Amino acid sequence: MNLNLLRTLSKNNNRNWLGMISLLVGLLAWYFITRYSGIPNFILPSPFSVWNRLLKALGDGSLIYHTSITLSEVVLGLAVGTIFATIVGYGLAKSRSLERVLSPYLVASQAIPIVAIAPLLVIWLGDGILSKVVICALIVFFPVLVNTIVGVRAVPTALYDLMNSLHASRAQILWKVEVPASLPVFLGGLRVGATLSVIGAIVGELVDAEKGLGFLLQLGDFQFDTPMVFVAVFMLIALALMLYGIVTYLEKRFLKWQEKI
Amino acid sequence: MFRKFVLIMLGMTLVLAGCSNNPSANGTSGLTKIQLPMGYIPNIQFAPFYVAIQKGYFRDAGIEIDFDYKFETDGVKLVGAGELPFALVSGEQVLLARAQGLPVEYVAAWYQQYPVSVVAKSDLGILIPQDLKGRKIGLPGLFGATYVGLRALLFEAHMSESDVTLDAIGFNQVDLVAAGQQDIVVGYAENEPIQLRARGIPVTEIRVADYVELASNGILASEKVIKENPELVRAFVGAFLKGLSDTIANPEEALQMSATYIPNFADLDANVQKKVLETSIEQWKTDRLGYSDPQAWENMQNVLLDMGLITEKLDLSKAFTNEFIP
Repeated sequence: MNLNLLRTLSKNNNRNWLGMISLLVGLLAWYFITRYSGIPNFILPSPFSVWNRLLKALGDGSLIYHTSITLSEVVLGLAVGTIFATIVGYGLAKSRSLERVLSPYLVASQAIPIVAIAPLLVIWLGDGILSKVVICALIVFFPVLVNTIVGVRAVPTALYDLMNSLHASRAQILWKVEVPASLPVFLGGLRVGATLSVIGAIVGELVDAEKGLGFLLQLGDFQFDTPMVFVAVFMLIALALMLYGIVTYLEKRFLKWQEKI
Repeated sequence: MFRKFVLIMLGMTLVLAGCSNNPSANGTSGLTKIQLPMGYIPNIQFAPFYVAIQKGYFRDAGIEIDFDYKFETDGVKLVGAGELPFALVSGEQVLLARAQGLPVEYVAAWYQQYPVSVVAKSDLGILIPQDLKGRKIGLPGLFGATYVGLRALLFEAHMSESDVTLDAIGFNQVDLVAAGQQDIVVGYAENEPIQLRARGIPVTEIRVADYVELASNGILASEKVIKENPELVRAFVGAFLKGLSDTIANPEEALQMSATYIPNFADLDANVQKKVLETSIEQWKTDRLGYSDPQAWENMQNVLLDMGLITEKLDLSKAFTNEFIP
């Protein structure tokens, strides 16, 4: 092992420690605020009461059940939103006229507060999983779309010239040039979309709650069980972190070739 | 750097201290300013409060009201934390809050009947709770007063949740019935049935209050204000009950007086507004306004225990009191 590598490793380890210390300080601060500020438990529960509530919800199976419901909505919404955004984004990147036709709608769609139209989507699409998946997909759509357009447009023209000189087919240009070249920017958009998708599912669940983490949030609020509200919020954070981690892993896996350049 | 941090924290503390709403803080007019969480949007159902202000009952009691149309549970928490003295809440909220240790007490009943109804399209012939067996019922969610009301109705009819299929549909009952997506929904007696009939959709209604007496909407106070300033509680309840009495006696006058408090009131269907007020008045009427029947609280506790929303019996004598009503 050479010296440079050792230095880098020890630097990374230091940074990991910094993260751990930051979390620990945050937890301690939270504990001391609840312990000495006199803020009642139903306004700000202590880390211990949240931990105990988490164990109870894990023990009776309710947390796993509701988390799995939300996760399935998130994964479906993310998949649908990403597929549509990629197809539309590629079309828009390739055709300026199509972009002119569609862009007013696309930009306007982003100005609509999703919370406000969620009840309407429930009326239009029914109160099953479909409305949640669509809300989720709508939130995921824009960041993935924008990054797809930017990614595809950023492909250097020299690469097209090279492929054309080799008489490459349309499909070959797509798979051998456009996809790999735009992948870094596309995955950046997916990372944002994946984190936002959790919000989409929750917005849907808050409208007509009978299951999912959005339901747990509302039930906790209705019963003044604030530790339960915190447990649901932390599960949402965990879901978002997990999705973010998966996309980051994909980036490392598929963009290895970049490091070699 | 540390000094800067301390200064920022100090600034935040001061801002937060400024936000806290102390009922003893006097307004410019020498009146005690009270921020009152209503738990719903401005609506003709709040006519007793609008009338009490218009007729100067609150002013005469030394109180200036600032309506706050926030969520019901947020109002309960603020009262529980001693930040606000009063809030308008439904009966089950009082027991759920006390079960979690919130120091709150219900000091005056407003609704004598629990206002929740099961509403069904007329052609289904749903007239009694037993007719609901095997049916799909839409309700805002598996929480809240509508859920509690439905479960109480099923409980009284010796049925359980498994005898019906519950479908969470958000607060979209009227639209979904009108669109043909739902046939039976749970809502409020003074809202959904009236709105649906106004749209020309004939419906039948099973009122929870016809089957079981449950502690319903009323005034919640913090134990802090009850202990430190019982005269304020008495004055507030007294002024409200005068407004309630006048509204029941003269609904026409109440409608006119409420107009300025409800946005776009002139554009709303006058007949619907009148009907909403009439139906509400039916649920407010009683021999002794403001009175809480201990049996209604006992019944509510039994329903919440059956639903598993509370796990053990509470000391109901601390949950409500009749000592502040005339």
